[in-house]
Amino acid sequence: MIFALIIAPIVAGVLLVLVPRSAEAFAKWFGVALATIVFIIVALEPHASDESLRWLSRPFVANFHVGLGGIGYWIVLLLALSTACALAVTRVPRQRDFVAQMLVLLGAMTGLFVARDLLLFALFWDLMLIPVFLTLIAWSPTRSTATAWRYLVYNLVGGLALLLATAAYGVVQGTTDVLAANPSMLAPISPAWAFWIFLGFAFAFLIKTPVWPLHTWMPLTYADLPAPMVAVVSAVQSKAGLYGFIVVTSVLLPGPMHGAAPAMFVLGLIALVYGALAALVQDDAKRVVAYSSLSHLGLIVLAIFSFNPIALGGAVVYIVAHGLFSAGLFIVLGEVERREDTRLLSRLGGLGARNPKLAGGLTILALATLGLPGLCGFAGEILILTGVYRAGFVWPAVVALIPIIIAAAYMLRVLQGLMNGPEVADVPQRRDMTPLEMLALAPLVIAIVLLGVNPGPVAASSRALTSAATALANVQTQSQSGIAYCKQALLDQRRNAMERAQRYLASLPRDVNGRPIVPTAQPATIGSVQEPSCLRYPDVMAAAVKATAK
Amino acid sequence: MSVDVTNYIALSAVMFFIGVAGVIVRRNPLIVLMAIELMFNAANLALVAFARVWVNNAGHIFVFLVVTVAAAEAAIGLAIVVAVFRRAENVDVDEVAGLHG
Amino acid sequence: MSGLLLAVWLLPFAGALAIWALGPQLRRGAGWIGSATVLLAFVLTLVQWGAATASGGAHRALVTWIPGFTLGLLLDPLSLLWSLIITGVGGLILVYSIGYMWSDRAIARFFAYMNFFVFAMLTLVLSDNLVGLLVGWGLVGLASYFLIGFWFDRPSAVEAARKAFVINVVGDVGIMFAVFALYKATGSITFAGIFSQRDALSGGLLFMICGALFVGCAAKSAQVPLQTWLPDAMEGPTPVSALIHAATMVTAGVYLIARFAPLWNASPPARELVGVVGAVTALLGAILGIAQWDIKRILAYSTMSQIGYMIMGVGIGAYQAGVLHFFTHAFFKAGLFLTAGLLIHELHDEQDVRKMGGLSRRMPFAFYAMLAGTLAIIGFPGFSGYFSKDAVVYAMLEHGQPALYAVGALTAAITAYYMFRMLFLTFFGPYRGELEDAELGILPDRRAHRDEHMPPVHPAELTRPAVPVHGHAPAWLMNLPVAILALFAVIAGYVAIGGATSPWWRFFGGLFGAAPAVAASTVAFSESLSTLLVSALVAIGIIVAFVRYGSPAAQLASVERIRAESLGRPAIFAHAFYFDDAIDALVVRPARSVGTFIARFVDPHVLDGGVRDVAWGAGALGVIFRALQTGLVRSYALTILVGTACFIAYFALIGSAR
Repeated sequence: MIFALIIAPIVAGVLLVLVPRSAEAFAKWFGVALATIVFIIVALEPHASDESLRWLSRPFVANFHVGLGGIGYWIVLLLALSTACALAVTRVPRQRDFVAQMLVLLGAMTGLFVARDLLLFALFWDLMLIPVFLTLIAWSPTRSTATAWRYLVYNLVGGLALLLATAAYGVVQGTTDVLAANPSMLAPISPAWAFWIFLGFAFAFLIKTPVWPLHTWMPLTYADLPAPMVAVVSAVQSKAGLYGFIVVTSVLLPGPMHGAAPAMFVLGLIALVYGALAALVQDDAKRVVAYSSLSHLGLIVLAIFSFNPIALGGAVVYIVAHGLFSAGLFIVLGEVERREDTRLLSRLGGLGARNPKLAGGLTILALATLGLPGLCGFAGEILILTGVYRAGFVWPAVVALIPIIIAAAYMLRVLQGLMNGPEVADVPQRRDMTPLEMLALAPLVIAIVLLGVNPGPVAASSRALTSAATALANVQTQSQSGIAYCKQALLDQRRNAMERAQRYLASLPRDVNGRPIVPTAQPATIGSVQEPSCLRYPDVMAAAVKATAK
Repeated sequence: MSVDVTNYIALSAVMFFIGVAGVIVRRNPLIVLMAIELMFNAANLALVAFARVWVNNAGHIFVFLVVTVAAAEAAIGLAIVVAVFRRAENVDVDEVAGLHG
Repeated sequence: MSGLLLAVWLLPFAGALAIWALGPQLRRGAGWIGSATVLLAFVLTLVQWGAATASGGAHRALVTWIPGFTLGLLLDPLSLLWSLIITGVGGLILVYSIGYMWSDRAIARFFAYMNFFVFAMLTLVLSDNLVGLLVGWGLVGLASYFLIGFWFDRPSAVEAARKAFVINVVGDVGIMFAVFALYKATGSITFAGIFSQRDALSGGLLFMICGALFVGCAAKSAQVPLQTWLPDAMEGPTPVSALIHAATMVTAGVYLIARFAPLWNASPPARELVGVVGAVTALLGAILGIAQWDIKRILAYSTMSQIGYMIMGVGIGAYQAGVLHFFTHAFFKAGLFLTAGLLIHELHDEQDVRKMGGLSRRMPFAFYAMLAGTLAIIGFPGFSGYFSKDAVVYAMLEHGQPALYAVGALTAAITAYYMFRMLFLTFFGPYRGELEDAELGILPDRRAHRDEHMPPVHPAELTRPAVPVHGHAPAWLMNLPVAILALFAVIAGYVAIGGATSPWWRFFGGLFGAAPAVAASTVAFSESLSTLLVSALVAIGIIVAFVRYGSPAAQLASVERIRAESLGRPAIFAHAFYFDDAIDALVVRPARSVGTFIARFVDPHVLDGGVRDVAWGAGALGVIFRALQTGLVRSYALTILVGTACFIAYFALIGSAR
């Protein structure tokens, strides 16, 4: 069933080329229906059991292992919901092909968030770049491919780091099918390996999120993507990195994760303030939202690296919340742009008088974004900051309060700049939102309110994870640290090899000096029953030969 | 009667360096190809000689492989030379430098 | 019983939803739905009086976010009082609004917002925990934002709304800090949980928490230096000013401090800080009230000043007195605003007192209502303000703050002066509405937008039969609420006759705990002497106002005096002590400059430039290495030869040595 959730949208997206190019409405509603079905299936199956198929056995074990639970469950729900809503308001040239891209993106990202195997995770990580890249090339408003390449190169560099880290982890651990495993059953990784593996993961996650200073691809990408796709990308794709930090590194590599916390705190705080200040002066409404995302995601980074269960619960709430309101904001801004042919705040104004429904929608979304108490943004913020403060980070919590004030200023600037004030004469004034468009926005708004009133279930989804990460951290610290454990294991292995080498030498014929005749042509012994694994340790062998001679 | 393996190796080395010199010094592509063939055969000689010493058939198998590849390589190489000759009347490996950076 | 509590809380919200959903079809019916739901909530609150005043009050749990974050409703004497004022005074103001907004096209939107406000305010006062309170705190700010910007095509209204909202967010942030500091220290966010663990709080931490809470109070209740949004908030319709910016929302700070009385009792520096800020605000508001010409701005500054009194009272530890002032203020200030609304309505949106005058004959009912409110606010003996203000001012002495006492008494005199100035200018002397602006010294700048005021129009509102724009509401619709409020403005203070043994004091019981007070023997003089002193100061204020504006001679020369005063108004009053300019220069401008610097320079040139430098570096390396790609086959062969030779040499010489 979970496999079907991944494969069906991708296959459907590819097969859409079979329908005639002119069947635009069909393509659109087909996409909406598919995304809605995914949403319903996921919503009805909160306890779906994992599914797994064999993939690799060498050089490490990797499986097509997928599961739907914990944090991923909520993000997949968010993904399906935002895709359905975004597709419902889609109106772009070459619509059939665009819908196909959206469906492939849906399938790839579903795969990412249900993957329980690191290699599968890495596979979908790169796969989800492709539809966005193609869309940036083919639907760029500026007819320039610079943004597309910037997006691809940035994210592929991250993807490469992720792949290397995954491979290294697989070699060291022997398997990459670890995301659903009980962390205490995993072998500890030596600090040196853990450091480099963490570095690879963190680099990929920081670019994807993005976190300051690796964010410069993001405002451009968000500004150039068509509204329906940017809604999904900012709602869900930008969460891939944060999701990775939560379910991959903090569980598998707690040591370097804790080591990196101070640096990450600084980056998160800078992103928070930097994004907010930059958002304050943008003229392009989409860029305001883009920079506000930078700011908000910085808050989640703080939450993750405070290692506090409350903050982590808040982080999950905020991940979903940010997905909801940023998807909604981009959809509404897309509506505004389609009506007025511009999204520059300096050219727009007074739309509210003729478009009260559009104004109402934007109002709720903007209020959720700026953290109005009672809506979902606030629930996430207060849980995160409570946790961060409780974890002992007093000053970061205080500094993180300032961007909330700035957020009020820049979101009201957008809201009032578009909707209030006297009507601006030089932009076309078209009709208000149709009931269909309202229907597309309604689920997001309802979810925003519900999550704001009771974030409990979403916050609770991180609880299992926290306990798992804590368990692993305890195992590592209690067993006189991982490195001692590894050294001991290596020594044991060498001692075994020594014994086996001596047995092997004893079985060989002797020369006149009484020394064993070791065959120099080693290929002859490969595959023999008595495989001398001791030969892998030349120094052990030499020592054994010497010992036998005496 | 057996000949010591060092003699074969020496011959092989001499043949190989003649081939190397041919590739580096001569500018006619046909001669260069021939010099390459010479190097192949030097290697073949060494393989056969060692196979005999170690009593291991792997060397013979490699020789067959090399001969086959060499034949294919000569066919393709000659075809390229002919193609180049059609475009530029004067055939000189130094003149054919269209892929320089 | 707890179902009833839920009903009280959700009824206004249901009303708001119904109006919002049925909206334009309802037109004036929206007003009736809105008023009915709020008044019904009032009745349901009254029904629960017994449960609320019983020990522990009425309680209902709602949701649990995470362990420790439990949200619920609580009705105890304090929230009962506030709920009654919100729904009672609110219901009266809503009835009045039906008449006031009679011919506004957006009447349904207005009532949806007003009902939403009542719901938000009830959320604030009924929450049994700090997070729920903060939710209400934010939502009332939102309702206030909507209603200030109700005429959203006026740039000044839009700007005022934004300013009010952003400053209120500053307050929200202060309370957020208090939430997580309290949660860390006590492990709870419910009031009961916090107070049961209050021994865990002390010294610096307690002061920090009280300070953070007070930031919230200052923003919401317009205390210095976060007061600048309140006068601008008068851009909203007048009933909004009466309900939100006079009677209820702006007193939320008083509620918060009274609610957290146990913390305040334990922190002397916090009491001192809040008392001083309250006193400064009271004085500043009164001084600025002297120099205003807009009737609503006069009332706005007087609100700020009166809230200063309340904050001073509850801040210093005299909770009963401070809350009593809230109670009486709700009636007389709402009455004053609604009466001002009657004038504005009658004079077709004229708010400038310079263009009024002589209205006592034309509008006798409004005159008596205004007189009752004025006498109440200045603390004229026998009127409600007399009891509450005296109690607050005298409490300063009881808690050992003679300086604050002096400020309070002085402010009472100034209050009497500017309120009577307003009364004389509006109701006495000649009617100046027909005079040219220049004759009265009115400068054209601030009035420009108001003349072109047009209510915004929905397309849907255009197509349906137009509301008769010049129709008039039945007079009782607006007069009845004003009359009731005026009546209570006179009598509301009688509940406190008898001091600590009065029904008022007994109503709260031990809710506030005991704030440390100085021994009675060290208080400089007795309460009756203090009353005499304050009354004398008030009399002086009235006399000065009479001499300057009210005497027959002054009435004759009023036009000249007004022109002279208008033109000679010191810049410091026109700029309201430069608070706006200071905030602009110290906060807004620097933030915008840094933002511009980031957006124009750091992001595109430093950060992105760094990445582009990496790309350029890769290109440069390519330029170097392409030189090796000569295209000469023989040189490649030589390279291969040399490379092979190096490998062989390595393995022959070094590799074997290992």
